[in-house]
Amino acid sequence: MSDTPALLVKQLTVNYDKVPVLWDIHFSIPAGNTVGVIGPNGAGKSTLLKAILQMIDPLSGKVEFFGLPFKKARARIAYVPQRSSVDWDFPITTLEVVMMGLYGRLGLFAWCGSKEKKEALNALDMVGMSSFADRQISQLSGGQQQRVFIARALLQDADLYFMDEPFAGVDMATEQSIMQLLRDLKAKGKTLFIVHHDLNTVEAYFDWVIMLNTSLVACGPVKEVWTELALSETYGRGSFVLDEAVKLSLRRTSGFK
Amino acid sequence: MIATLAASPYRDVDFFSFFGVMFQRLFQAIQGNLPLKDLASDEIQMLVLIGLCFSSALIGAFLVLKKMTMMANALCHTILLGIVLAFLLLKPLFLEEGLSNSFLSLKILIVASFLSGLLTTLLTQLLVHVAKVQEDASIGLVFTSLFALGVVLVTLYTKNVHIGTEAIMGNIDALDKDDLSLVGAVALMNLVAFFFFFRGFTTSTFDPLFAGSIGLPVSFLNYFIMVLTAATCIAAFRAVGVLLVLTFFVGPPLMARLLTDKLRTMILLSFVLPAIGSIFSVALSRHILVVYQTPVSTSGLVVCVFALMYLLLLLFAPKKGVITQILKKKAVFQQGNSR
Amino acid sequence: MSYSLLDFFTDPVLRAPTLGSIFMCISSSLVGVIVVIRKRSLLGEALSHASYPGIALGVTLLAAFFTPSSDGFALAVLGCAFISSLLGMLLIDLLQKRFRVKDDAALCFVLSSFFGLGVLIASRIQTTHALWYKQVQAFLYGQTATMRDIHILIYAALLVFTCVTLGLLYREIQILTFDRSFGQSIGINSKFVETAVLLLTVLAIVIGIRSVGVVMMAGMLIAPALASRQLTHTLKHMFIVSGVIGAISGFCGNYFSVMIPFYLKAEKLSLPTGPMILLTASFLCLLALLFAPQRGLITRMLRVLKFKRNCQLENILKALWKEEKKEGVLLQEVASSQNLSSFKTWLRMRKLLSKGWLSIENHRFILSDKGEKKAREVVRLHRLWELYLVHLGHCKDKVHASAEEMEHVLTPELEKQLTDFLRNPMHDPHDQPIPHKEGKE
Repeated sequence: MSDTPALLVKQLTVNYDKVPVLWDIHFSIPAGNTVGVIGPNGAGKSTLLKAILQMIDPLSGKVEFFGLPFKKARARIAYVPQRSSVDWDFPITTLEVVMMGLYGRLGLFAWCGSKEKKEALNALDMVGMSSFADRQISQLSGGQQQRVFIARALLQDADLYFMDEPFAGVDMATEQSIMQLLRDLKAKGKTLFIVHHDLNTVEAYFDWVIMLNTSLVACGPVKEVWTELALSETYGRGSFVLDEAVKLSLRRTSGFK
Repeated sequence: MIATLAASPYRDVDFFSFFGVMFQRLFQAIQGNLPLKDLASDEIQMLVLIGLCFSSALIGAFLVLKKMTMMANALCHTILLGIVLAFLLLKPLFLEEGLSNSFLSLKILIVASFLSGLLTTLLTQLLVHVAKVQEDASIGLVFTSLFALGVVLVTLYTKNVHIGTEAIMGNIDALDKDDLSLVGAVALMNLVAFFFFFRGFTTSTFDPLFAGSIGLPVSFLNYFIMVLTAATCIAAFRAVGVLLVLTFFVGPPLMARLLTDKLRTMILLSFVLPAIGSIFSVALSRHILVVYQTPVSTSGLVVCVFALMYLLLLLFAPKKGVITQILKKKAVFQQGNSR
Repeated sequence: MSYSLLDFFTDPVLRAPTLGSIFMCISSSLVGVIVVIRKRSLLGEALSHASYPGIALGVTLLAAFFTPSSDGFALAVLGCAFISSLLGMLLIDLLQKRFRVKDDAALCFVLSSFFGLGVLIASRIQTTHALWYKQVQAFLYGQTATMRDIHILIYAALLVFTCVTLGLLYREIQILTFDRSFGQSIGINSKFVETAVLLLTVLAIVIGIRSVGVVMMAGMLIAPALASRQLTHTLKHMFIVSGVIGAISGFCGNYFSVMIPFYLKAEKLSLPTGPMILLTASFLCLLALLFAPQRGLITRMLRVLKFKRNCQLENILKALWKEEKKEGVLLQEVASSQNLSSFKTWLRMRKLLSKGWLSIENHRFILSDKGEKKAREVVRLHRLWELYLVHLGHCKDKVHASAEEMEHVLTPELEKQLTDFLRNPMHDPHDQPIPHKEGKE
C-alpha cells in the first residue's frame, strides 16, 4: 500500500452567506481507516463533506483523493447523503434507487440491462433488503431507507466512502447491521469517512476521529486524540471569539456596519 | 381567422353525437381519407390540447416532484415579456408577414424561451444572493414586474389591450394548422429531451446531492427543464394562454400520483387522463354551444374539468381516495364484527 | 388633453380613480408588510387569482338583475370576490394538511383552477352582456377609469377598517411574527390572530384588485413592503413607509396610465392601471434595494471601499511604526512598501495628515504621538489574534495572513475577550512583544 493518503485536505475555508462555517481546515487521512467526524450541530460537519465533494465552493483550500483532484478520482469515491435530504414520497422503487449507484459508471445514456439489475439485487441482498426490491420507498422505515442508501453506495464499488450521519434516526438492530457492513468494507481495505452524531459510540466504531468546531480541534487515531481536553474544546466555548470575529469580518467586507 | 367553416361536421351536434362524428372521422383518417386541410376546428382544438397534454405530462411530473411549480408559474408570466422582446429583436427578419403568425414562428419561440428562462432565473438569483432578499418575495416581485412590463409593451406596441388579455387566456377558437405544427414540434422536442435525459432528470430530482457527487450536471438539468417549460408555455400561448397552462403542468401529475407509485406510470397517466379530459371538454363546449346557444371558453372549461377530475380522484381513487379508505375501514370493521 | 397634477384630485373624471387607487394601494401595502415578514408572498399570488371566479360570478349574477351603473355593484362584486378567495384559501389548506400535497403544488393548483373557473364563467357573458364582460375584464389588469365618487368613499372606508384592525392587533402581530412560542406562552391566542391576519390578507387583496388587477396583485403586496424592509427595522416604521410607497405608486400608476397615451398621441388607447402601479412600486423597491442607508447595495459598496481605504491607512501606520525611522519617510518609500500607486499613496498620506496621525517635515512623513498610539493598537490586535489562533491549534507560520485581516476588524469588546481568554499575554507566537493596552510597553 502506497503512502498516498486517501484524503488530504489543505487550508479549507468555507463561508455560507455571512456565517463562517469552516475555517482553515487541514488534515490527512491514511488509506484503510474508518474515520468519524464529530462536533456540535452547525459546526460544519455536513458542510465539510459537501465542500470536499465539490458541492459547495470553498473560499480557499485544496482537496486531494489518493493524490488526485476530485474529477479524476470520482470513480473511486462514493457518497451517502443524509436521509433527510431526500423526498421519500418520490414514486420510485427500492431497486431503482439502488441502480442509481451504477449511473456514475454508466453515465447519463448507457443502457441498464439484466446484468446491471442482477448487480443491484446483489447489493440489496448484502444489506438484507432483497425482499423489498419492488417496494415503493415511502413504505420503508428509517433503518430500511438507510440500508438502501448503503446498498447504492456498495454498488459504486469505491475505495473511499463518505457518509453523512448514517446512524441518525435508525433502530439499534439496523445500526448493528450497518456497522457490520462497514467493518466488512474496512476488511477489504476501504477508507470510510463518516459524519457521526453519537459521542458514546465513537471509540467502538472508529479508528480515527476528526473533532470539528468551525476550525479543526483534533485529528488522529482515536486512542491518541479522544481526550477530555479535546472534547471540551470541541464542545466548549474557546472558539466563541473566533466565530464572532469572523462573522464581524464578513460583515465589514460585504459593506454592513 | 376563425377556422369554423360553415360546413363544419360538428356544427349542430350535441354531446353524444359529437363522439359519433369524431369516431367516424377518425376511422376515415386511419383509412387515409381525411386530408389535413379538412380538419374541423374542433378537431384542431382537440389535437392541440392533446399535444399540450403530452408535453406537460413529461415536464409537469418533474416540476411537481422538484417542487418547482411556482418557478414554472413565474416563468409562465415572464413568457409574455420574452415573446415581446423576441418579436422586437427579430422583427427586421419578418418584414412582410402579418402580426399574429410571425408572433409564433419557431425562431421567435426559441429566442423567447431562452430570454424568459434567463431573465427569470437571473433576476431571481440576483435578488436572493446579491441583494439578500427572501426567496418567496424575490420570485413574486420578479415575475409580476416583468409581466407588468410585458403587458405595457404589448399594449403600447400593438395599441390594443386585447392581445394582452388574450395572452393569459388564449384564444382557442382561433387555432389553425400552424398552431398544430407548433405544438407538435414542441411535443417532439420534449419527447426527445426526456428520452435522452430521463435518467439525469430522475436522479437529480430524487437526490441532487448524490447526483452531483457522481458527476451529473445538476444545474444544467435544472436550467434545461426551465427552458423546456418555457417552450411548452409558448406553445400553449394561443391555445389556453400562459396562466391556464399551469393547470396542465400541475393537475395531471397530482391526479396520477393518486393512482400509482411508479414514475413511468405516473407520467403515462399524466398524459392519458388530461387527454381524455380535453376531448371531453371540447365535446362539452360544443354541446353547450349547440344545445344552450351559449359560447363558453373551451380553455376555461378544460381547466375546470381537470380540477373536477382531481377532486373526484381525491375522493374515489382506488387506494388513496378518502371515501375509498373510509369504505374499506367500514368493510374491515363489519368483517370483524361478523366473526 | 393634458392634465395638471392637481387635476388628478379635482377633475370629476380623474379624481375617483386617483383617490380610489391611492386608498386601495395603501391597504394592500400595509397588509403586505405582514405577508412579506411571514414569508407567505406566494400565498398572496394564489389568493388573488382565486378571487377571479367570484368576480366573474358576481358580475354574471348581477347582470341578470341590475344595470351596469348600480351603486351597490362595486360592493357586491367585492363581496363575491372575498368569498371566492376565502374558498381558495380553505382548499389550499385542505390540500396541504389533509392530503399532504406539497405547498407549492397546492398553491399552483388552486391558482390556476380557480382562475380557469373564472375564465369559464366570464365567457358566459362575453357575447351576451358585453358591457358587463368589460367590467369583469377590468379586474384582470386593473382598470380604474370607470370609477365614480361613490368608490372613493367605499375604498376610504375599507382602508379605515384595515388600519383600525391592524392597530388593534398590532401588539399581537408584532409578538407572534417574531417569536411565536413566546407569544403563546404569554397567552396570546395565536389561532385567532392568525385567522384574523389571513382574513385581512384576503380583504387587502380583494380591495386592491380593482386598481392593480388579479394577475399582478401579489407584486403589490410585496414591492412596497420589501422596500420598507430595506429602509427601516421596526414594524411600526415598516407600516408607515410601506403605506407611503403604496400611495405614491397608486397615484403615479394612474398618472402614467392617463398621460402616457397622451404623450404618445394615441389618446384612444387605454393603458391598464395595474401594470403602471406595479412598475412604479417595483421601481421604488429597486431604488430602496440599491440606495437604502443601511442595506442598500450601492451603500454597501461604498462602505466596502471606505473600509478598504481604512485598512490601507492602518497598514501604513503600522509600517511606519515598525520601521522606527526618526527622520520620517518619503512618499515613494511608502508607495513601494505598500504596493500602491503614487497617487493613491498621496491621497492616503493626506488623509493621515488631516487626522493628525502624521506630521510632515521637509517632504518626509513622521508619525505623531496620536499616530503612534493608533499604530500600537493595530499591532496589538494583530499579535493578540496570532496568539489566539495558535492557542486554537493552528500552526504559527500560517496565522499571519488572518491576523492581517482581523487587525482591522476586531472591536474593543472582542479585544477584551481575547485578552481575558489568553490571560493578558505579553508575547505573540513569534516572540514579539504585544503592545500594552494603555500604550506603555
